Parts: sequence; C-alpha cells; structure tokens
Amino acid sequence: MSSLRELQAEFRAALLGGDERGAASAVADDGPGASARLAVYRHHVFTSLTAALEATFPVVCRLVDRRFFGWVADQYVRVRPPAGPCLFEYGADFADFIADFPACATLPWLADVARLEWAMNTALYAPEAAALEPDTLGALAPADVARLTLRLDPSTTLLASRWPVDAIWRANQAGADGVVDLDSGGVRLEVRRVGEDVVYRAVPPAVFAFRAALAAGGALEEAVDHALDNDPAFDLAGEIRALLDERLLIA
Amino acid sequence: MQPAGCGIGLRAPHVTEIVETRPAVAWLEIHAENYMGGGPAARALERARADYPLSIHGVGLSLGSAEGLDVAHLERLARLVERLEPALVSEHLSWSVTGGAYLNHLLPIPYTEEALDVLCAHVARAQERLGRRLLVENPSGYLRFRHSPIPEPEFLNALARRTGCRLLCDVNNVYVTCANLGGDAVAWLDALEPSAVGEIHLAGHTCNDADGHTILIDDHGSPVADPVWPLFERALGRFGTIPTLVEWDTDVPPLAVLLAEAAKAQHRLDTASDVVAA
Repeated sequence: MSSLRELQAEFRAALLGGDERGAASAVADDGPGASARLAVYRHHVFTSLTAALEATFPVVCRLVDRRFFGWVADQYVRVRPPAGPCLFEYGADFADFIADFPACATLPWLADVARLEWAMNTALYAPEAAALEPDTLGALAPADVARLTLRLDPSTTLLASRWPVDAIWRANQAGADGVVDLDSGGVRLEVRRVGEDVVYRAVPPAVFAFRAALAAGGALEEAVDHALDNDPAFDLAGEIRALLDERLLIA
Repeated sequence: MQPAGCGIGLRAPHVTEIVETRPAVAWLEIHAENYMGGGPAARALERARADYPLSIHGVGLSLGSAEGLDVAHLERLARLVERLEPALVSEHLSWSVTGGAYLNHLLPIPYTEEALDVLCAHVARAQERLGRRLLVENPSGYLRFRHSPIPEPEFLNALARRTGCRLLCDVNNVYVTCANLGGDAVAWLDALEPSAVGEIHLAGHTCNDADGHTILIDDHGSPVADPVWPLFERALGRFGTIPTLVEWDTDVPPLAVLLAEAAKAQHRLDTASDVVAA
C-alpha cells in the first residue's frame, strides 16, 4: 500500500499522460474499470486547462484553429502544468513553448502574438498601484535623481517584435477581416492598463529602450544609456514628464 | 428562527447585470482564485459586495496534499478574506497539488488515518492563519480506492470534530458520488453530523458513458437534477434551514435562469422553515 505522498505522485503521472499503472493499482476495478475512472479526472484536467489557455490566448487560438490549438495546449499542459491555482497566471511561458514547438515553425510570428496576448493578460490582472505624484520627484536633488530606480506601473509590458503583431491582433478581433500585411515590419509596443481598459501603443525606439530598462528593474542612469544608444538626442527631462503625465511611474 | 437564504455563484457574465439590477438573492459566492489579481474583475466585485453578503469558496488550497500546504497561496487567500470580509469561507475535501504542479481538479483522497492526519493539520493551519472556521465540502467521486476504510461522511465528521471546522454539504455531489460508487445517498446524508453542517451546495450534473457504464459528471452546467431535490429537502430536515447555494459554472445561462433555480431552492427553504416554526 502506497503512502499518500506516493499515491499523489502516481496520480500526477497518470493524469498528465505518463504511466497510469501505479494509480490504477490503487483504484477499485468495479463497474467502469480503473483506467476509465482515471480518464474522467484526466479529461477534466486537460479540458479545463486548455479552456484557461484559450481564454488568455484567443487570437493565437483563432489563428491556428481550435483543434490545432487544443493539441498544442495538450502538449504544453503535459510538460508545463500550472505552478499555482490562479489560472489567470497560467501560460507565462506558453509563447516560449510555441516558439520551440516544431509544428508551429511555419508560423514564425505566432509566438510573438502569444507574447502580446500574455502582456494584455498581465495588464488585465495586475495589482492596483498608486501613481507617483510629480512633486515627489521635484523634491529630490539632481544627484539623487540619477541613482533612482523608477518603477513602472505593474500592468506595463514593453514588447518588441520583428512582426506587426498589433496589426495581426486587430485583424483577428470579432468583425475584422483577418487580412494583415506581414511584410509591414516590426513593432515596439507598450501594453498597460488604463482605468479598466487594456491599451497598447507603438513607442519610438529610444523611449522603448528607456522604459524597457526601467521595466526590467534597471537604474535610471542605465536606462538613459540604453535610450541614448538609440537616439543621441533623447530628452530625459521630457521623458520623465511624459511618464508622470501618463501616470506610468509608481510610488 | 430566521429562514436562511439561497445564494448564487457569482460568474463573470452576470456581474454587470447583478450590480445594475440587484436581483433578490440572499448572497453571492465567488471562487477565491478568480479574484486574487487586480483590475476590472476585482473592481466589479467591490461593487457587487456592497449590496450582498459574500461567501469565498476556495478551489486551490489543496487541503489534502501530502507534501504540505502552499503557504504562499494560503497567504493570498488570507489577504482576500481580510479585504472582502466574507460571511463564509469554504474549501474542499480534496487535493490538487503534487510535486509543485497544480492539477486543476478536486482530486480524491483515500479515507485513511494517514489522510485524516494530513487534512486535520492543514485545516487547522488554514483556520489559524485566517482567524476563522473553514467550511469543508464533500467532493464528487468518480473512483473508489481499494484501501479507504473510513466512510466519507465519517471522515468529514472526524475532521470537524478534531479541527472545529464546519462542513459544506454539496447535495449534488452526494448524489453523484453515490451513483458512481454504489452508495446510498440518503444513508450518506443521515450519517453526516448535523450540528457540523453550515452550508449546502446545489448544482446540475451530466450523464456520460465510461466503459459501457453510466457515470455522472459534476459539471455544474445544467439545472439541479430532479432526484437531487428530495435529497435537498431531506438535508434541510436534518441540518436545518442553512445558507444554500446554486452553482452554475459551465454553459452559464442567462441570469434569469440561474435566479429561477435559486428561487426553487428558496421556496424549499421557506417551506422547511414554516414546518420548523409550526
């Protein structure tokens, strides 16, 4: 007789598509067999997690059709089951999985569309954060400002792609025609929540580099270096003002 | 005796309509894990809870995990409870987490002394952190373990006795489990310690085929089934007129359909309380 811990490990193997012999041997075999009974649980695990991924990645699902999406999701669930019970947090590395998934190799833009949808999901569920008031910065000496780590609102993602993922996303909303010019070039997007709405917009290269460095936790000086690499005329004072006006900095 | 009310499970498609029309239901129950983030869902709930008592129903604490409670998740649940100040907080007699993977199902526990010790330790820990008593719900069963010597209601009674927790009797789950595993639903209800039961759940189930046998699936996707209503009446007779919930989670119908289901339960609560008063 296995202990509870061993039994639960055997269930995991049985439910995620590995070996079900251990779990089946612990289950009474009357009426429907142990395998059929375990299949009831397995079916729920896969359909509910696939539904959760479909809710987070609806455009990816629409682009590949639901059957193909279901197959990709099935493979993903097997190797990357959720680490926690909040399903709105499930799928953080689904885009990476798609990028490495051989059957998706003919759709090179698909992983970046998934990254955009993940950024939107992050924005939708991010915790509320109080925006930094302009006076707070004004009270600091210039030398202290340089050493500051400015933090962006937690709903924010800076996303660069060599594909027009924003146009792909728009073309696959309800009522849109689905037509995109894939050769129209890459994008640098800022995705965030404003009020109750998730919004995205294209930002210039230097601003993108600056904000991406801040979003990654970099200090102000480092973020400025990244911005200047992209545009020697980068206007730091103007950019800080813009961040405050956009209520993108948090206290 | 105040007649207890029937509540409904609050589901995303209904939130706006509930906030705007304030239908006459006694209370709302949410799934804890859907509200652990920020954003529009959390704000809509703030508006809804201004008008209704709230119950928080956790589905992810995995009280039966042998590897221990996920304390980070318990902490999130505690913060949600502190923020929303619900009238009731409930979880399940099940497990979902092993090896750090969350399997997104209320998985079955063999009813052994070992499992009872695990459950008691985890319920006690959760109650200590939350500073209140939990209600623990009987799951729907689709399999029976070869070694599971303690009958399910007795296991629940022992859990309540040892931890002081209360019990959430899901009458549909009792029906589904007994149909799938060859038990007697009336005897099951009669074996549960009446004084420990603090809430009742009702929902619909569906019938599937497994190996040429019918197996009932607790999918919360249809009206409460006809044979479940007499069991509900029996439960009210034994447990008293206690808070009752109608859940509908898949193929979520228009709000009016869910409210009509809740009204059927409310009618039985009212009738049962008349009997008590007489």
